[in-house]
Amino acid sequence: MASVFSPPGFDFSNTLRNNFFAEKGVPLPKATSTGTTIVGCLFADGIVLGADTRATEGPIVADKNCEKIHYITDNIRCCGAGTAADTEFTTALISSNMELHSLSTGRKPRVVTAMTMLKQMLFRYQGHIGAALVLGGVDATGPHLFTIHPHGSTDKLPYVTMGSGSLAAMAVFESSWKPNMSREDALELVKTAIKAGIFNDLGSGSNVDACVITASHTEMLRNIEMPNERVQKERQYGFRRGTTAWKSEEIRSLVVSEEVTMLGAGDEMDTT
Amino acid sequence: MEPSFRIVPGSAPKSASVNDTANSLGLHDTLQYGPRSIAAEIKTENALKDRLENWEETQDNLKLSMQRNLYGLHAPMRLLMERKIVSANPHMAGLPQSNLHLDILMGRDETIEPVDIFGGMEDAPPLNIHKDMEKKLNM
Repeated sequence: MASVFSPPGFDFSNTLRNNFFAEKGVPLPKATSTGTTIVGCLFADGIVLGADTRATEGPIVADKNCEKIHYITDNIRCCGAGTAADTEFTTALISSNMELHSLSTGRKPRVVTAMTMLKQMLFRYQGHIGAALVLGGVDATGPHLFTIHPHGSTDKLPYVTMGSGSLAAMAVFESSWKPNMSREDALELVKTAIKAGIFNDLGSGSNVDACVITASHTEMLRNIEMPNERVQKERQYGFRRGTTAWKSEEIRSLVVSEEVTMLGAGDEMDTT
Repeated sequence: MEPSFRIVPGSAPKSASVNDTANSLGLHDTLQYGPRSIAAEIKTENALKDRLENWEETQDNLKLSMQRNLYGLHAPMRLLMERKIVSANPHMAGLPQSNLHLDILMGRDETIEPVDIFGGMEDAPPLNIHKDMEKKLNM
């Protein structure tokens, strides 16, 4: 009798082999954290989220301008730190589920719903899904800002930072955040916090992304500041034609002889 | 499963059996399934796999136990009966099937889970229609 429960969806057929390797002294490669600075803060009219744009693969920069602020619903966004694939997939899954849920209830989606879905999923996977998220949005009950850690614990706070650059960004927040700031002040604070992460943390870099969410309107400010523009190269490094002389030249035609044979009775339509 | 208030699956005692890969002589069928070591299977740590595979069942068991304590044995019994009726599948085994009625009863008709995205025809093992039909009809 087939089980009524849905399977976990992941394939565990390699566990035997991996255990064997681990016993012999070849451990599994660690999924490296992307190194990120993501922040969120509450202001008078709503939430401002901010993120840097560097994705790393160990010591190498894999993507100089990636998007870390993911769409959940029109009025809810989520910044993701940790393993890039995990944050991408988790936020996409939760976004789909939020849409289905809001269609089913007939109400505008709420931030706590997304937070509960995320924390229940991450707890189920015991931290193996390496997604550390900053979830923020404005719904019918007001603006809310949450952090979700990879093992499933959550915090509800007025200003949060996550990622490897979180300490640098939190230092900026702790010194300058005040309740009920204006939009310009909040955006300036978020930009300063992300820049602190970009310049002081190796894992964060490139540009600053921001997202301002209010009750009426969500504004995605992609690359709002680019403090790491590449300067133009000072010299030309191309070679002029004729730099390398050639000694001999031989041209061979690969077509020896060509003959076209018409197949069938030509192109007439068959109307029998 | 016996009635329990567990939210998270407990660590069940490990067991591995030759039943699922046995041939007509009763031993593991190496020709069809490749080499297999029951000792290695018992020894490997499968904490995450066990947790994920038993997750839904444990949560479901919690709800059914609470319903049994609140409303009496008939409540979980009717639900389980409905599920069993709906799972009776007249179609050919082995081919991909979807059971909307079962999804509705299990409460997953309005959610998307990783199993809906992964585990499609590209990742599945090759079709074994004869074997699956034999297994199904011998039940």
